[in-house]
Amino acid sequence: MTVTYYPAAPTHVPEDLILDFDFFDMPADVSDPVQIWHGLIQKGAPPIFYTPRNGGHWVFLRYADIAEAYRNHEIFSTHKAQIPPLEPYPVLQPNGVDPPQHDVFRKLLAPMFTPLAVRRMTDGLQSRAERLISGFAGNGGCDFVHDYAAKFPTGTFLELFGLPEERLPEFLRISDTFFRSTDPDVRAANLLEIYEVLEELFREKERNPGTDIASTVVQSRDADGNPFPWTDIINCGFLLFVAGLDTVTNTMTYVWRYLATSADARQKFRDRLDDPSAFLLAIEELMRINAVSNIYRRVTHDCEFKGVQFRRNDRVVLPNTVANRDPRTFSDPQTIDLDRKVNNHVTFGLGPHRCIGSHLAKREIMISLQEWLRQIPEFELDPDQDAESVFGGPVMGFTSLKLRW
Amino acid sequence: MRVVANLAQCQGHARCEDLCPEVFSTDAIEGKVVIEQPEFPPELEEKVRLAVRNCPEGALRIAKGAVA
Repeated sequence: MTVTYYPAAPTHVPEDLILDFDFFDMPADVSDPVQIWHGLIQKGAPPIFYTPRNGGHWVFLRYADIAEAYRNHEIFSTHKAQIPPLEPYPVLQPNGVDPPQHDVFRKLLAPMFTPLAVRRMTDGLQSRAERLISGFAGNGGCDFVHDYAAKFPTGTFLELFGLPEERLPEFLRISDTFFRSTDPDVRAANLLEIYEVLEELFREKERNPGTDIASTVVQSRDADGNPFPWTDIINCGFLLFVAGLDTVTNTMTYVWRYLATSADARQKFRDRLDDPSAFLLAIEELMRINAVSNIYRRVTHDCEFKGVQFRRNDRVVLPNTVANRDPRTFSDPQTIDLDRKVNNHVTFGLGPHRCIGSHLAKREIMISLQEWLRQIPEFELDPDQDAESVFGGPVMGFTSLKLRW
Repeated sequence: MRVVANLAQCQGHARCEDLCPEVFSTDAIEGKVVIEQPEFPPELEEKVRLAVRNCPEGALRIAKGAVA
């Protein structure tokens, strides 16, 4: 299949739907990456608009349209949806294919990420949180991103994949380059390194299988009893690496950044330390307000959607942070209400591609926060923050967050 | 009253299980909703309604009367 690249706004896009918007670019005065998205609403951007930046793509700004795009894979596909368009880009399994193909790897992974499976991971997550936090609790401060938010999900990934803890520095280095480097040569070398690591990992698990996710994936068989294509196995490992590290790191960073500035919220969470279901309800609101992912789709055929003409291979960005603060869906959407009753946020997406790791991500954040508040009940932002620590793109966040207590 | 689920719409967000574990759980294979108590007692009505309203996929609804 060929993918068309548009050097400028293509002819099917009307003038009044074109805006110059680069979601990778953070202006110097932006202290929180989500501001660039909410700024669009303030300046009255059309609910569906087109920007010629980053290869050219549409942006949806309403909850209802974003929800419909998530559910309608017949128009809005995840397959080859990369922005800017990149070829060749691996077809991640199962996220990079649509139903019914999608169901194969989705079903293979699903039992390992159900609420039941995640509850069984609780002890491992708990001891990791205790260990990491007790390492710096006596220091009076830390760089939250470096000392906790990057290490916790990466360590969890190693554990779930049956890899030894000693490889944490290596994986932190690989993932930091993967998610933050903008140098094309460095990125190309990094991608090769990730594939080498995954290749070695799955070969090893094929020889000496354990009970981890990598062993389960590599030992799985299709409906006819045959092993899955090796490329698909590697790309399934790659997806779990891509999806489970940076997203959790940055969501945590957002959450701790907010809690550092709100004594009231810290108090409310401390009050709920003995009530996990109330604690989880409050976490859900922090998931709504701190949605870090901007999700990509590719239009599968020429069509009209909500009165707008789309062409095959048009790219679309679905900014979850915008959907989650749409006043048509949420009452008082800009207010963080830890007791919010109805909260249908799209932080983990909707429809068939709904984030398979959502229960693990929430549990990682919940256990981390519970343990943090037990060891460090009060903390604040260190005024000595690094300048230019914010970044945009498909996952938004901070490269550093200095806290003190 | 009873609560029913559309399993084709359920994507396993498990918000119902979080909000009302007395009535909802999730299965071990796909993580989709399992209704443990379709005909729930009146004291759970508020919690069940909250779970229904918090299904991001709109996969749950409350039906009047007993199971047909």
